[in-house]
Amino acid sequence: MSFANRILNRSYFILILLAASTLRAQPVLFQKPLSPRIANYDIDVSMDPKSHLLKGHELLTWYNKSSDVITAIPFHLYQNAFRNNKSTFMRESAGSFGVKDVKEEELGYIEITSIKLPGGEDITKNMRFIQPDDDNAEDKTVAIIPLAAALRPGESAVLSFDFTVKFPQPPRARSGIKDEYIFAGQWFPKAGVYTDGKWNCHQYHSNTEFFADFGVYNVRITVPDKEIVGATGIEYKVVNNGDGISTHYYHAEDVHDFAWTSSPEYLEFKGKAENVDIRVLLQPDHANQAQRHLDALKTAIEYFHKLYGDYPYSNFTLVDPRRGALGTGGMEYPTLVTSGTAYGMPECLRLPEMVIIHEFGHNYWYGMVASNEFEESWLDEGINSYSEYQIMSEKYGPDADFLDFACCRINDIQFGRSQYILAPSTDPVIRYGWEYYSGASYGVNSYMKPGLILTTLQNYLGKETMLKLMRTYFERWRFKHPKTKDFIAVANEVSGEDLNWFFDQALYSNATLDYSVEKVTTTDLPADKGYDFNRAVEGAVPPSTPAQSEKADSAKTGGTVKMYFSQIDVRRIGTFKFPVEVEATFEGGEKVREKWDGQDLWKKFRYLKPERLVSACVDPDGKIPLDANFTNNSKTVQTQRLGINKTSAQLLFWVQSLFDMPELLNLVTFLTALF
Amino acid sequence: MIFSAAKKGVIDVWQTKRIIIVYYMASLLTGLLVAYPFSMIVGNFAGNSLMGKKLGGGIDFDFLFEFLGKNSGALSALGGLIIIAAAAFALSLLFLSGGALTVYVSGERYSPGQFWGGAAHYFGRFFRLMLWSLPLLAVFFCLQFLETLFVRLFFGSDPYQSITYWGGWVRIGLAFIGILLYYVVFDYARIHVVVSGERKMRLAILEGIKFAFRHFFSVFLLALLLFVSGLLLLAAYNLISDKLTAPSGFILLLLIAVQQLYVFFRMYLRLTLLSGQLKLYSQLAGQIFL
Repeated sequence: MSFANRILNRSYFILILLAASTLRAQPVLFQKPLSPRIANYDIDVSMDPKSHLLKGHELLTWYNKSSDVITAIPFHLYQNAFRNNKSTFMRESAGSFGVKDVKEEELGYIEITSIKLPGGEDITKNMRFIQPDDDNAEDKTVAIIPLAAALRPGESAVLSFDFTVKFPQPPRARSGIKDEYIFAGQWFPKAGVYTDGKWNCHQYHSNTEFFADFGVYNVRITVPDKEIVGATGIEYKVVNNGDGISTHYYHAEDVHDFAWTSSPEYLEFKGKAENVDIRVLLQPDHANQAQRHLDALKTAIEYFHKLYGDYPYSNFTLVDPRRGALGTGGMEYPTLVTSGTAYGMPECLRLPEMVIIHEFGHNYWYGMVASNEFEESWLDEGINSYSEYQIMSEKYGPDADFLDFACCRINDIQFGRSQYILAPSTDPVIRYGWEYYSGASYGVNSYMKPGLILTTLQNYLGKETMLKLMRTYFERWRFKHPKTKDFIAVANEVSGEDLNWFFDQALYSNATLDYSVEKVTTTDLPADKGYDFNRAVEGAVPPSTPAQSEKADSAKTGGTVKMYFSQIDVRRIGTFKFPVEVEATFEGGEKVREKWDGQDLWKKFRYLKPERLVSACVDPDGKIPLDANFTNNSKTVQTQRLGINKTSAQLLFWVQSLFDMPELLNLVTFLTALF
Repeated sequence: MIFSAAKKGVIDVWQTKRIIIVYYMASLLTGLLVAYPFSMIVGNFAGNSLMGKKLGGGIDFDFLFEFLGKNSGALSALGGLIIIAAAAFALSLLFLSGGALTVYVSGERYSPGQFWGGAAHYFGRFFRLMLWSLPLLAVFFCLQFLETLFVRLFFGSDPYQSITYWGGWVRIGLAFIGILLYYVVFDYARIHVVVSGERKMRLAILEGIKFAFRHFFSVFLLALLLFVSGLLLLAAYNLISDKLTAPSGFILLLLIAVQQLYVFFRMYLRLTLLSGQLKLYSQLAGQIFL
């Protein structure tokens, strides 16, 4: 052993002692750990105020809680997605995130300068990049490091990393720097997850990025004094280093990621909800929306607490991204999320509220339940979209919870459905995030369609049962990385029904749910021509009331009362089979409800009544938002001229007005661009 | 002077009501060119459904999203038709303006021969005038980019959103002013052609520019007065139409009547502006023809 090595060894020994003593100084948030705490991080990071480069030192302590012997640890190096335009992320993002015309100086990277073992042995040279998803040799977002000694079950490995990060400028997606603003997500070497007897460590993809083990994070962020810092966990100390530089000490327990942000421009607003300390970091432009942000966040915390269970952390930070850095907006990290608004955002457009409720919700599904977003994104985004639909509707009313402006009244779920109906069957919901047909298909199948699936399931099971299902799923599986089969098992258990028929179609196939009323007919039966009611209308529902029976008898015997034979043809157009209700409406307002199991390709309902059929409707209560076409859900015997004429008259008027004042287009373009 | 010109315009146009009706018919026919096929598309899509029935009450966004998503081909074709109809409307107004100006310059009562003869007589010149005026339109359209320039100069390439937001409104205002100025110059150029018999349209457009900028305050205020009157009319329409939402045939008839009455008055305003500008031209240019 050389002298230098001995020095290094001693340095490391001192470092570990220091780390241990520092650890003792950390606050303890949970007396009893909430999670297995497999991957634990102790990180020092400092930002160079001029170059904006991050220099980091990380001590990763990884516990082998599997029953296997581990010989190597893979880890994510997310920022290498921005190293060149040939990374998997960049290839998948072509045309989106503005990466098409990215300049070299705008790129980003993470450079591992050294990896050392506790004994000081430098093992950097053993590190190699791997591409488990697509064999793209240009992709350096995952690396693997063989361990010096095999790690037996119950043992732990300690690895020390030195690294440098250059963030994309401006932020292209999720992380980056824009002038004084920095948002640091996915910024440090992060271990993969050992599960099902193998490592699960996917490359950074355009659509998906999250799956990590829980642990304890101690992070010290060194930035200039003027910076206002927000981060995962709690800030328990700020030390002024005396040279215009301060170090912010953060501690988080039972989380699986750590993000932070800093900007001297942030305005800080505070609040409290359900014993959670709220902190909102707003851009100066949005100061007048502070109360709006606080209220939305309080709503989110209170509703999630009420509906699904306890939010165990003591604080929450909401970050408002800087102008020109909206790529970092609408993102979720443990105890910290980013929102998105604009100056002049009208109150009637609840876009910030929707984003805040959605992003906070991630702290339940992504944060605590922590399913594998790479492989089953619906478990996070989809369940969260469902939660968002529920809360938006409950809080802001069921008619116009998203947009409430004059005659424009749109619900969040309607807005989601508007995107779903454009491509309801391009892919099955369950696919690896990068295997969807397109980014739009990923969006529909990860967010909107699962939201509609669960809303449909809620209407099928009843609100109480669904609430119990969701609560049970959350409470049973938080901090455990559940899979789709676990969700289905909970659904079957709570509902007391085998729902595999539903989930098989909804999640594992691309079946479209679409029932339609194909035809409605109603014809009078001329009694004076000796019509044989019983034969001619075989299968028809007989008159249901004594008065109707009397009329029928009168008709049979050549009386003056007419009888009408009505028929409704209902079709299953999609391959998704789902029980539906059919409502027939007759003259005089009588409504008859039928149930159909929806299994066959069609079903005919026949009636013999003294009143004509007026209309028929599948799913009259709108319980099946997953139905890809509402318009064909009903048929009327008479053409609805009033509605058609009104719509056409409105269009005529607006066309005439537009032709007369084409300059109005300018205003429309401006308002569209603004929001 | 401005108010007297406007007043004279109102009276003269009312005395030749048939011209308003002709203008209105041009608007109605070109509008129907789009609305009728649209009605067929909507009718085929939802005519025999409860969704169609709901449309009697107001906009249903489930319907709207499905209609837009499932009729994209037909709606693209309709988009093309809108462009054709808009061009047809613009050309018809260009054509009719020759007749209207001939009648107003003559100071006589409306006669079909004079009106349609004047329309046919000046259409060729007005069309060429329009082509000559296109560079001017481009210049006036670019007026709005003064705001962009101002923001770039004083706030750099990364201004606060509040600057962008309010700047956007200023840009909208400048765009309106630019378009208004273009219309003003174009109108006075047409008046010059009718009054002087000018045959060289590049000279006519120059005369229009000279006149408009020599008497900028008067001509611009007159145009602005009638533009604001148009906005007030729109506000009044909105107030009334907001009450007419009940799903009944009678209410629908009432709504259509109010809508078409609004369009009729828009045409009235358009002609009032033309007639008022003629009056102003006669007063300011010293031309005696009324």
